[in-house]
Amino acid sequence: MKTPHLFLATLAACLLLAGCDTRRAPGIEGDPDRGKVALAQYACRSCHVVPGVTGSDTMVGRPLDGLGQRKFIAGSLPNNQANLVRWIRNPQSVDPESAMPAMGVTEQDALDISAYLLTLE
Amino acid sequence: MPVSRPTLVIRTAVLTLLAAGVAAAAVGFTVLRSGWYDIGATTQHLSSVYKLLEQGMQYSVRHHAMEVVTPPLGQAEALRGAPLYRDNCAQCHGGPGVATAAHGMSMQPVPGPLVDASRRWRPREIFWITRHGIKMSGMPAWEYHLNEAETWAIVAFINRMQDMSARDYRTLTASPPVRAGDQQEAR
Repeated sequence: MKTPHLFLATLAACLLLAGCDTRRAPGIEGDPDRGKVALAQYACRSCHVVPGVTGSDTMVGRPLDGLGQRKFIAGSLPNNQANLVRWIRNPQSVDPESAMPAMGVTEQDALDISAYLLTLE
Repeated sequence: MPVSRPTLVIRTAVLTLLAAGVAAAAVGFTVLRSGWYDIGATTQHLSSVYKLLEQGMQYSVRHHAMEVVTPPLGQAEALRGAPLYRDNCAQCHGGPGVATAAHGMSMQPVPGPLVDASRRWRPREIFWITRHGIKMSGMPAWEYHLNEAETWAIVAFINRMQDMSARDYRTLTASPPVRAGDQQEAR
């Protein structure tokens, strides 16, 4: 009776994983679950309302719901992961007068944060 | 002697309420004493807990700030407030185009920007928050570190932040540092 046990174990593992993991958008690098924590640790949520992250209602920055569906970010950049990472790490490289500060986000953290934001539909 | 029907109804209601109260207290105590609620700042508050704490904080500030009398706050006060804001507030609250220091980013609750503070609070409430701080939030009280005139100058500056671009903020805060308490106004 090895097969049913294996089946049950696999099923349990799948359920566990489904419970924990945010589904990664296709072709996206980085860890969205880690990114969700990281974006709070860089205070993104203080200006942006982000689905899945607790905080005050704020309209200082634009709400980030549906980011995965947006065609452009920052008004001019085509929305893809590389551009999103660039915008997160150094907004002034895209728009020198942007009020969004560079928060000192590392490459890896920006990759993970973008991976989470791009899951938002 | 048989108990009358109304007495029985009242007795049942009282006992049921008591039992429910005791059960609720037991559940509350268990949750508190077990330490299940994560107090770490890398996890988020439950949304309901956050909203409750935030609402309570807002009611408390509104109530306590009612007796504060706001002086006239003009351009001169705002200009005087700019370097004070930069030296004492921007570390946690940032400014247009200016990031907070690391400790201001990763607090829970996050201190947040003040560019929209004047849409959320009256000047006297911003003054009260600055002067008295907010318990358990990381917001310090400045009563013994900034005098009243300096605190109002900061309020005047914060009030104007909603109209500032990143460039305006850079220009206004470019003046040399001011040591808190240097001005001689009465506390």
